[in-house]
Amino acid sequence: MRVLIVEDDEVIASTMSRGLALHGYVVEHVSSAEAASAALLSEQFDLAIVDLGLPQEDGTSLVRRIRRTNKTLPVVVVTARDSIADRVDTLDLGADDYLVKPVALAELLARCRAHIRRARAIANSKVQIGSLGVDLEGRRVTVADESLDLTRREWLVLEYLATNVGRIASKERLLDAISSAPQDLSLNSVEAVVSRLRAKLGKAARIRTIRGLGYRLDDEP
Amino acid sequence: MIRPLWNTIRGRLLAYLLPPLVLLLAAGVYLDYETGAAPVRDAYDHALASAALAIATHAQKGRQPAELARVAAATDALLHPGARSYYVVLASGHYLAGEADLPVARVGARNPVFFDAHFRGEAVRVVTYSLTDPQRLTVSVAESTAERDRATLRLLVSEVLTDVVQLVGTVALVWIGVALALRPMLRLGDQIAMRSPRELSPLDAQTAPGEVRLLVTELNRLFATLGEASRAQQHFLANAAHQMRTPLAGLLIQLDLLIAQGTDANVRQELLALRRSAQNLAHTADQLLTLARADPAVHLADEFATLNCGKLIEDVVAQNLDRALLKGIDLGAQIEPVQVACVPWLIREVLMNLVDNAIRYVPAGGHVTVRCGVAGGRAYLAVEDDGPGIAPDQRQAVRQRFYRVPNTPGSGCGLGLAIVDEVARLHGANLEIGDCGGVGARVRLRFPGAVELPSADTA
Repeated sequence: MRVLIVEDDEVIASTMSRGLALHGYVVEHVSSAEAASAALLSEQFDLAIVDLGLPQEDGTSLVRRIRRTNKTLPVVVVTARDSIADRVDTLDLGADDYLVKPVALAELLARCRAHIRRARAIANSKVQIGSLGVDLEGRRVTVADESLDLTRREWLVLEYLATNVGRIASKERLLDAISSAPQDLSLNSVEAVVSRLRAKLGKAARIRTIRGLGYRLDDEP
Repeated sequence: MIRPLWNTIRGRLLAYLLPPLVLLLAAGVYLDYETGAAPVRDAYDHALASAALAIATHAQKGRQPAELARVAAATDALLHPGARSYYVVLASGHYLAGEADLPVARVGARNPVFFDAHFRGEAVRVVTYSLTDPQRLTVSVAESTAERDRATLRLLVSEVLTDVVQLVGTVALVWIGVALALRPMLRLGDQIAMRSPRELSPLDAQTAPGEVRLLVTELNRLFATLGEASRAQQHFLANAAHQMRTPLAGLLIQLDLLIAQGTDANVRQELLALRRSAQNLAHTADQLLTLARADPAVHLADEFATLNCGKLIEDVVAQNLDRALLKGIDLGAQIEPVQVACVPWLIREVLMNLVDNAIRYVPAGGHVTVRCGVAGGRAYLAVEDDGPGIAPDQRQAVRQRFYRVPNTPGSGCGLGLAIVDEVARLHGANLEIGDCGGVGARVRLRFPGAVELPSADTA
């Protein structure tokens, strides 16, 4: 997996590079938006980590440019700017994540993993979490390469959770996902579907109940 | 606010106007009394003199004392009802008829002579009239003054009443007039009071009355200076934040890398301790910056926006979920749809602080619940837990900067609740620190109002 780091602080850039390399990523580091544009034109990347406070051209305009030329490349912004306005503006421009420095290496790795997985899931129509495989196009679920039979509703819930791995999915959203006329069903039916799904998945995947908010499919089983 | 009356412009105007007005009233009453009472006195004296003349005329015609008594009784009717009258007749200085002890004046150039005297225990008005005939008849007639005193009193009372009505009318007119004249100033005061303390936009100096225009101009100048200062401060803080964050971020991520690379166990322990210290330093720097930027002097009025509390809670819970799960804490939410007008990033900061605190102090197996809703027409955000809680005698102290409850485990900088307190004040919200029915801690932020959401919007 190839990651592009656009960061003008040498210490942070080289440390992030080494940290990511330690976890099997191939990292390229540039320290300006111009160099980043050039690198993106000549090479394929699975993810870009972008600092906003870059010399000359600002990181936000780089994010805008990346989104214009590449719709699918996950962009994780890592910056010292912590205002809500910066966060909202940057996410609106198309950044996939916004982390404020200081960032723990473990968190950065987790985010990178999740975004790359999500991008791959969209690209390959397949989500892989440990031994659980969710084939979005073929509508097939496998646990350790063994096919698993799911009802239509169970599939729809799992599909939603799998495309939002590591994120909280509210019961209302899951209700929307399983029914074209959500008013005909109650939130209890979502709970029932989730509990059946849990029983079928067993130890292969973990669907957590987030009290008062919904469910989350953990990105590590 | 209730101010003592003498410290208001109205009060002062009244204080300056009332004493001279009262003096004027007194002078008016005195003059009116003097000019009104003289005719009354003259009329009474004239009636008294007529009686004396009638008795003297009868006496001159040589009537007997018995006849004189009848005349006196008849003239008594000429005098005023309710007044007692007495008479005495002397001839060549010798008693002829009537009350022998009634005082008689010496008649000189003036004839008749009027004077006041006391007779048989009451005040009387006496007239002595002398005929210039050979008998030298002298007649004194007296009348008790109670009746004429009552008449002058009636006169006095009616005059005083008229003047008091005039005075009250004048004062009322002054009171109303001053109120009307002061209205633009009061409006200006209201205008200033209604503004949020953070609002620093200039006041309209053109519509202000001339007397306070200078004050308004000076206030505007002050607002402008304050605004400039707070902008400079904000700029400085933004720079400081960036300048501190970058090296701290470098330090932390290098430590992370060292730890991740896996060294021997002893060094790893040291590195973990070093990382905790660096993390605390970064946390404290962040908290200080938040506190400084939440300063009321900083111009935040145009950062106010409507915030969906449910969405905020979802975001904050999602951000803290992994940390909570790692500690074995059940982090959840209870959302009743509501919106508040606030500075969104500050409220987010506050909620992050509260959830961070809860996760820090609640032991494994505990529960942390983030709530929002409406109570008594006011929106609230709350974080509840079943951890050790904050003892009642500490609940005030924890709002102070750098205060930490004695013997608290773990590392904190003691700024968390101080920030929450500051931000609450900035929003006119109440910060309530309590417990959940005797267990754990409940920290609740009650906003001054609420914008309720139809529940469909939360999906």
